Amino acid sequence: MRITRRLALAGLPAVALPRAALAQPRPLRIGMITSLSGPFTALGESMRAGMRLLLVQSGERFADRPVELIVEDDQARPDDGVRKARKLIEQDRVDLLCGVIHSGVALALRDVVTEAQKPTFILGSANDLARKAASPYVLRPTKTNWMLGSSAARRAYETQSGARVVTAASDYAAGREYVGDFVTTYQGLGGRIGRQFWTPLGTADFGPLLTAIAAERPDSVYVFFAGSDAVRFLRQWKEYRLAGRIRLTGTGACFDQEDVLPAVGDAPLGAINTFHQSPTAPASAAFVEAYRATGKPLPGEFSTTGYVCGQVLRAAVERSNGDPTGNWAQTRQALFDAPIDTAFGSMPFDPRNGQAILDIHVNEVNAGAPGQPLVNTVVHTYPQLRDPGPNA
Amino acid sequence: MTRAVLAAALLAVVTAVLADDFLLRFLAEILLLGIAVMSLDLLIGFGGLVSLGHAALFGGAAYAAAIAARAWGGDVLLMLGAGIATGTLLAAAMGVVILRSGQLFLLILTLLTGQMVWEVAFHWRDVTGGADGLRGLPALSFGPWALPGAQPLFLLAVLLAILAWLVARSYVAAPIGRALVGTREQPIRMSALGYSLFAVRFRALLLAGAIAGAAGALYPFVNLYVGPQSVHWTQSAAMVIMLVIGGIGSLWGGFLGAAVYLGIQTYLSAWTDRWQLCVGLVFVLTVLLLPNGIAGGMRRWRGGAE
Repeated sequence: MRITRRLALAGLPAVALPRAALAQPRPLRIGMITSLSGPFTALGESMRAGMRLLLVQSGERFADRPVELIVEDDQARPDDGVRKARKLIEQDRVDLLCGVIHSGVALALRDVVTEAQKPTFILGSANDLARKAASPYVLRPTKTNWMLGSSAARRAYETQSGARVVTAASDYAAGREYVGDFVTTYQGLGGRIGRQFWTPLGTADFGPLLTAIAAERPDSVYVFFAGSDAVRFLRQWKEYRLAGRIRLTGTGACFDQEDVLPAVGDAPLGAINTFHQSPTAPASAAFVEAYRATGKPLPGEFSTTGYVCGQVLRAAVERSNGDPTGNWAQTRQALFDAPIDTAFGSMPFDPRNGQAILDIHVNEVNAGAPGQPLVNTVVHTYPQLRDPGPNA
Repeated sequence: MTRAVLAAALLAVVTAVLADDFLLRFLAEILLLGIAVMSLDLLIGFGGLVSLGHAALFGGAAYAAAIAARAWGGDVLLMLGAGIATGTLLAAAMGVVILRSGQLFLLILTLLTGQMVWEVAFHWRDVTGGADGLRGLPALSFGPWALPGAQPLFLLAVLLAILAWLVARSYVAAPIGRALVGTREQPIRMSALGYSLFAVRFRALLLAGAIAGAAGALYPFVNLYVGPQSVHWTQSAAMVIMLVIGGIGSLWGGFLGAAVYLGIQTYLSAWTDRWQLCVGLVFVLTVLLLPNGIAGGMRRWRGGAE
């Protein structure tokens, strides 16, 4: 066969293209759904900042594949979150999906991403996603509500077993689960529970709640509020002169280092909370330093979670040789095979439900350096807590 | 008119074939909200009854349909029946309370009655799922045929929009619709002529409730979810904003307004966190430059060109 110029030209792309493709692989698109308006605005911005920091540290590449991040706002509303997830999946054609703060949004997304078979790293902590709503397409590199609620009850019983505890929480999926798990565990250990109070997410005036709590005269109160609700609750806690009179315990979200404590003065001084994140936890030291170097304050839950999510995504890309979605079952298995080193510490996954197994810290809110906000200080750690999972 | 309907139907079929899943669901959401805004226009544009409780009728019907779907499956006729009945009943209950007042008091009373529906949806956890809402809905069906996915939903929304538009159009052209405009313009003369203001307005409210209810019945199937936000007064306010942007007094303006509002919310929010500011700017600009909304502006522009 004679090699004509035309034939040679026709053959050229076949040789050249794969080379070019090797040199510049298709970027990996990651969609992030978070709350950039509504009650969790500050948390959502922190999550984005944490993820961005990791991307910058990795040179915007995972396993030599360029990474594009597309961030969408869910306004902490399930219907908007679902609409944004569909947009990311079907219009922006993202390879991986991550994010979510609101437990209700997390649950609402579950059916959408499972139907679309889109690997999703959910950062909302609804218990059901580790249990009957577990999905082969959902991994969760953060805590479940049970981990915090039950460990808070254990700690409360171990340190002040005779106390009568009332609870107060935001009335949505997360609040119901934190308080439910706290109450069940505390009563199971033999503790005394008083009344339970609920307020809607986005409450501005906690006056009626605080007077009701004061009238109950409990030894201790267990609270869950997040984002701007936590700030308003703690400020009013002090204004109503309950600070220092009733022992305050709660979930870490209510005393978030970055998004709550700088805004509330000394109102929660001495409060005890359980959390998977603490700026004083040894595992997060490197991240804390890097984050502060960008001009930010001490990191809280969602900047750390965004960063950890990035670390897990990076591990997923590395362990699948740059193609996490080609065979998702294999990638998932690779993540289960060995723990991932993250800012939450060494993170193994529970193969039954794709749920991370985490150290849960007991933080005490202590005075910081003069002129600085209070600091969550680790006083105890429950190592490697695992959600009861499908058997619960 | 028949030509317009046929063209709309043809366009819808072509869109259903060509567009992707997300776009179809998005368009279905625009159409369903547009229907609700159009029914609100009957009250505001033709009756002069500014309501901040319309989302209660729309969202109440959405809850009724979602609850019925979970119990008995997602048959379209069952959904529409449940939605229309709920919308009409809620409108009747609301009408008894609000129609004795007018102006500012009417606004506040619609807000209050609407928020009562929200309270029920928010606190009755066993039935409505409380703050977490209802999910895990079955797919839509029609008799023995299942209608999964976005295409049937979109086509149903188009069909419903055309039907609702025809009903609303014939209503405002009929004597009872003219009487409604009369009660807005000359209430004293209308009662002197022997019309009962209450009866005329009550019927308009019932019709608006039925239309909003029909749209609400399909709404949970857009995102396979319904939550208390859909009955909250802020949703009613969003509907009023959509109506003002689209054009008060024009039946198809509601659809334009819903498209602009949801478009800004969905597409602009990828670029900026301040999409609500953009909605506000569009609202202010509309009020200043196009007092009759986009629909009014388009009509004026077409009139000027001829």
